[in-house]
Amino acid sequence: MASVDWNALAAKSRRSRRWKNGLLIGFLTLVSVPILLPFFWMVVISVTARTGGVEAAVLWLACAVLVPATCAYGAAHLALPHPRARIIAGGVIAAAAALGLWALVGDQLHLHNYRFLVNSNLVEDIRGAATAGGQFPWVWTAFGNSLLVASVSTALKVIVATLAGYYLSRFAFRGRSGFLQGLLILEVFHPWMLTIPIFLVIYWVGLLNTLTGPILVLTAIDLPFFIFIMKGFFDAVPWDIEMSAMTDGASRRQAFRMVVLPQVRAGLIAIAVLGFIKGWEEYVFVTALRTGNSYWVMSTYLYYVAEDVMGVDYGLVAAVSVFYMIPSLALYLWCQRYLTQMTMGGVKG
Amino acid sequence: MARVDLQGLHKVWDTATAVDGLDLTINDGEFVAILGPSGCGKSTTLFMLAGVYLPTAGDILFDGARINEVEARDRNVGIVFQSYALYPNMTVLQNILFPLRFQKHPDADQRARDMADLVQVGDLLDRRPGQLSGGQQQRVALARALVKRPNLLLLDEPLSNLDATLRLTMRAEIRRITRELGVTTILVTHDQLEATTMADRVVCMNAGRIEQVGTAEDLYLRPQSRFVAGFIGSPPINFIEGSVTGGALRCDGQTIAVAAPDGPVCIGLRPELLIPVEDGLAAKVTHVEAMGREVLTSVETAFGTLRFLEPTARPRWRIGDDLQLGFAPDASIVFGAAGTRLDGATAALKKVIHA
Repeated sequence: MASVDWNALAAKSRRSRRWKNGLLIGFLTLVSVPILLPFFWMVVISVTARTGGVEAAVLWLACAVLVPATCAYGAAHLALPHPRARIIAGGVIAAAAALGLWALVGDQLHLHNYRFLVNSNLVEDIRGAATAGGQFPWVWTAFGNSLLVASVSTALKVIVATLAGYYLSRFAFRGRSGFLQGLLILEVFHPWMLTIPIFLVIYWVGLLNTLTGPILVLTAIDLPFFIFIMKGFFDAVPWDIEMSAMTDGASRRQAFRMVVLPQVRAGLIAIAVLGFIKGWEEYVFVTALRTGNSYWVMSTYLYYVAEDVMGVDYGLVAAVSVFYMIPSLALYLWCQRYLTQMTMGGVKG
Repeated sequence: MARVDLQGLHKVWDTATAVDGLDLTINDGEFVAILGPSGCGKSTTLFMLAGVYLPTAGDILFDGARINEVEARDRNVGIVFQSYALYPNMTVLQNILFPLRFQKHPDADQRARDMADLVQVGDLLDRRPGQLSGGQQQRVALARALVKRPNLLLLDEPLSNLDATLRLTMRAEIRRITRELGVTTILVTHDQLEATTMADRVVCMNAGRIEQVGTAEDLYLRPQSRFVAGFIGSPPINFIEGSVTGGALRCDGQTIAVAAPDGPVCIGLRPELLIPVEDGLAAKVTHVEAMGREVLTSVETAFGTLRFLEPTARPRWRIGDDLQLGFAPDASIVFGAAGTRLDGATAALKKVIHA
């Protein structure tokens, strides 16, 4: 045992750990480039492109600043364990990136592509006569409709999934296990397979060309999964807490509201965020359930900007995309913590 | 505060009978423990008292009034669960105040604070349950159960999540508080020590039925059934089974005289009442456990394995030693074939009978 050189062994272990970390970070950086680049480009194009096309040189210059900035941020994150140091480093890197962008492509930057936000008649502005049946709306109309579809369907999903999940978790009734299996089986069918039957149902009910149609359909599609998630969350709330509330003098409804519901808050937020983003992004059913241009939402707006109206104005398309992305991105970042908890709650179920 | 009567109480689930005809009276201000193994129906009984479960048959009476169909929230019963079941989204004060929220008390806040002081959590009122230790959570749960001055306090295995030292203090604490308030209390537990140390009377349950009701001493010294004899006492009682013929059990040339009619019997012998003697039942030591205050020795005899306890710290015997065991006739408890005690029946070693 005398001849063992512990220091050398420790150094070897440190070296190999450093190598492994370095390789891992390098690999992850490499694979994230093709995922992140389109987002960079989208933002850069939206503030640089002029009518007619995209300057490739501008793109590459912007990437030359943004890619190293991102890598630097990653490196700073690894090197600095303290959260405050991380924030400061992030600020410094962001400032440096902004300066670099200003120096390299500053003269190219403009906000003309965002004119759709203030110009209610984009089509007239560009082409003179209207293309899409003369009904191409102001973006805020589409924005409002998307908000309506997403929020109303989210509210419905959250209310129904919460009540159903609670009932499935707490009450024994005939057909309970069959119902649970049924929820899972519904997940097997992709909702797009049902587009035509759904169209027929909505047509017969008389909801074609109304926003109520997509709102109900979106709610129905997400419900089985959301009910399952909420059941998992309720299963994790101890039964005796509820019983305790009831012996303390609460009615079952009061016990649910005052004691049980606060404990599934993470689940409620998780399904609300997921439900909202799905409603916000919805394209297939909002398109399928209208026969003309009876209503516009953000996804159809973007589609027409890209395919029908503008043809080649990439700047405008990119600007609309950025505008479209911001609400769901903000919501996602804001509630990220709860979304990660959802998987845990789900597993428990 | 109330007197509680259970009359022919039954609870039947789809396939199983959980509680099979319970008759019991608990006096006003009495502390009663329901003791039994898991699945004996003791928790079901507790939840029927709390109003969580409806009895299948039979009646529950508070001060003589039938309350079977009265809802849990109207019974004015306080309950402490094994897990304490504190509301994690509320502070300690809010937890204790919770039962008063439904009663509209003008002095609710003061009452909650007084109760918190009584259970000694007065300085933790702004904490959340997650920030409390097990013992503190236990005290808060007790305060919450008692703050509305319940007719009846129910404790469901309240100490089993605490460590051994804390359990000792909380046993005394719970007893002090219930005595101070004079509240009728029912404790449900599978821990005989908990039941016998805290309760005025212990109800021993098995398979949905009451085996015996009595003080700790009654249950230990005068068990009425083989089940009670086996369940109460640690280390457990020794049982010698056999068939009496001509007033004796015989096996391999050894004889135990039994003053009972012929037929199968079971003789119970407490380990501390078996003593090594000069001339008794031949035994060979198979295992020795020094437990600090006493030594538990296992021996192999003609009638099977027996264990005896000696009040000494230093083991006297080693594995393989031969010795002779004796016991006084009044140390034996004889049970019949059905497991019930045979009154007046005793057992004795033929040769060694010392007064």
